[in-house]
Amino acid sequence: MKDLQMAWRNLWRNRRRTIITAASVFFAIFFALVMRSFQLGAYDRMFKNIIESYSGYLQLQQKDYFEEPSIDNSFVVSPEMLEAFSADKNVDILVPRLESFALVAAESRTQGAIVMGVDPEKETRVSDMSSRLIRYRLTEQAVAGLHKESLPEKTKNALDVFLNESFSGPGRLMIDLGIADEDSAEIMPVLRKHAGFANSYFDNNDTSKVLIGNALSEYLKVGIGDTLVLVGQGYHGTSAAGIYVIKGIVKLPAPDIDNKVVYMTIDDARQLYGAPDMATSVVLALHDTEEKSVLNTADRLKNILPEDEVFRNWKELNALLINQMDADNKSGMIMIGILYLVIAFGVFGTVLMMLAERTREFGMLVSIGMQKTKLARVVTLELLFVGFLGIIAGVIASLPVVFYGNIHPIRFTGELGKMYEDYGFDPIMPTMLPDNYYLWQVFVVLLILIIAVVFSTRKILRINVTNSLRA
Amino acid sequence: MKVIEITDVYKIYNSSEIKVNAVNGVSLDFEEAEFAAIVGPSGSGKTTLLNLLGGLDLPTSGKILIDGTDLSLLKSSQLIDFRMRNIGFVFQAYNLIPVLTARENIEFIMNLQKMSKASREERSFELLKAVGLDDRAGSRPSKLSGGQQQRIAVARALASKPRFVLADEPTANLDSKSASTLLEIMEKLNHEEKITFIFSTHDPRVVKMAHRIITLEDGKVVSDVRTE
Ligand SMILES: Nc1ncnc2c1ncn2[C@@H]1O[C@H](COP(=O)(O)OP(=O)(O)OP(=O)(O)O)[C@@H](O)[C@H]1O
Ligand SMILES: [Mg+2]
Repeated sequence: MKDLQMAWRNLWRNRRRTIITAASVFFAIFFALVMRSFQLGAYDRMFKNIIESYSGYLQLQQKDYFEEPSIDNSFVVSPEMLEAFSADKNVDILVPRLESFALVAAESRTQGAIVMGVDPEKETRVSDMSSRLIRYRLTEQAVAGLHKESLPEKTKNALDVFLNESFSGPGRLMIDLGIADEDSAEIMPVLRKHAGFANSYFDNNDTSKVLIGNALSEYLKVGIGDTLVLVGQGYHGTSAAGIYVIKGIVKLPAPDIDNKVVYMTIDDARQLYGAPDMATSVVLALHDTEEKSVLNTADRLKNILPEDEVFRNWKELNALLINQMDADNKSGMIMIGILYLVIAFGVFGTVLMMLAERTREFGMLVSIGMQKTKLARVVTLELLFVGFLGIIAGVIASLPVVFYGNIHPIRFTGELGKMYEDYGFDPIMPTMLPDNYYLWQVFVVLLILIIAVVFSTRKILRINVTNSLRA
Repeated sequence: MKVIEITDVYKIYNSSEIKVNAVNGVSLDFEEAEFAAIVGPSGSGKTTLLNLLGGLDLPTSGKILIDGTDLSLLKSSQLIDFRMRNIGFVFQAYNLIPVLTARENIEFIMNLQKMSKASREERSFELLKAVGLDDRAGSRPSKLSGGQQQRIAVARALASKPRFVLADEPTANLDSKSASTLLEIMEKLNHEEKITFIFSTHDPRVVKMAHRIITLEDGKVVSDVRTE
């Protein structure tokens, strides 16, 4: 009789206990993986969103701007400097921005806004601005119109869920409204008819034209062609004021920016703020955005840096967000820790019960001549069987959820969605595809299992036959 | 030749405040092919003595020689191997491994001894027949009656031809018919295989069948008679 065979038979001797133990390992690993996947996926998305729509991976700033982000801490961008930086192998292009604050007033409402003076063509290469223009908006009117059309039931139900949502392209819209690819040729024209949104990007010749964030447009109740008045303070205390026409509405994935941003050409901004040739930052679009190469690039360029300017990387630029994520990450880990603690106690309970129940049997086996080490090996195999059964089943069960969640992220709507947005988070949670975190979860469960094995082995090696037989 | 030789053996339990002299100065010899019963009132030290003979426990003082080997000189893993090669055990209950069939239970020790499959099978078949259970070879213990389980246990104890078999109250949980069947089988195998049997019992009918009766009282041998 092989050890393995005996272990296998022992497992099915108390079928229910084996299944309960494997199931508890299964649920632990399944929930831990899915939870972690959503958490990490959400962070990843938030980071990508904010970095790729706003901060970039590396910025050049005047040295005091970070502490005191005022237009007074801007600097002159010389063509020579830009050229010197462009020569670096990791630098793609340099995108100057002039950023400041202003009050923006529409017909009925006023709001504090961030004014971003950008070079439209270059800007879209770092932040993909042109593809963020709104193409569809499910206004009440649009939804009412669509309800009269003949659409699949699923799509009609989804319409009410996504009322007042805006979409930058057909992809997201189709997923959210549950439109299959093969039906799109039929349905998309209907959607375009009712919910289509005319919109266009701008270029350097678009004097006095602006793009604004979608949430800002909703708050101000303004649309394309409407006029906005901007009032603020210019360079060194001059007054800044101007009238602008809305040319486009962009949906930015970072709600905190989406609700207050106004884009104009950098020339307009320089004029508005009385700051010719100046910029508050120059975003360096990089080829390789791995953390290490970002830092290396900054290092390489340090010696040609003008005296008053410094580099800020994405970590410094997004310190607040990183802090928030850290805190959230910790609370997530504590939850998973508690989950594992419960499972560890469960597994130990089972092991203790099993050892107690089989005391006489173990005593008999050692009496008739089975070495304790051999006995411990059989019991170890039993525990590993149950553990691996749970781990493998948990990992396999998590995969469809994780892959599905990556394509169809959870979307928080209503109050919960608002709450997320108020905290500056995008209320969309995709999962992160299997990565190192899978290994970590499996490792933790294996650790619990190993502790259980060590425990049972110790117990078996310490068996006193006469006491066990008497038990 | 003497199979077992014990001289002046004491086993003192000090566990609680009271000191118990469970075995109190016992000297005994056992020859090859003996069929001996150990009797005595409850608490007289029968189990303790059998545990000492089987190397399951070590004496507080005194010498135990099995085939000339002093058990107290063996390391614990050597002692386990020694038991596996030389001593068969039949307990009062829970003798069999629940996940193995009757036949696999009989073969278990031969397996530990790494005997070939062919000789294992031959021997287990022979013993299954001897204990009258060749039709139950594939049954798990839970499907056997108490008496049948004990017969399989006797077969297992004998399977690897040990020097002697120790049985602590093997019939205690059996009805009188099963008890006498078991004893008849034990006696027959003792006779055929020339293996020493030492068993403890409370049952007068079982005692009658023994060829030697050792009576214990308060850990002391008070009589030792051969009945042939
Ligand atoms: N591990 C132990 N610790 C303390 N005392 C023990 C221990 N084992 C046995 N004893 C004591 O030793 C004495 C002999 O016990 P033993 O079990 O050998 O008697 P026995 O003759 O087998 O009795 P029974 O017929 O009831 O089985 C008893 O007084 C018992 O209480
Ligand atoms: Mg006893």
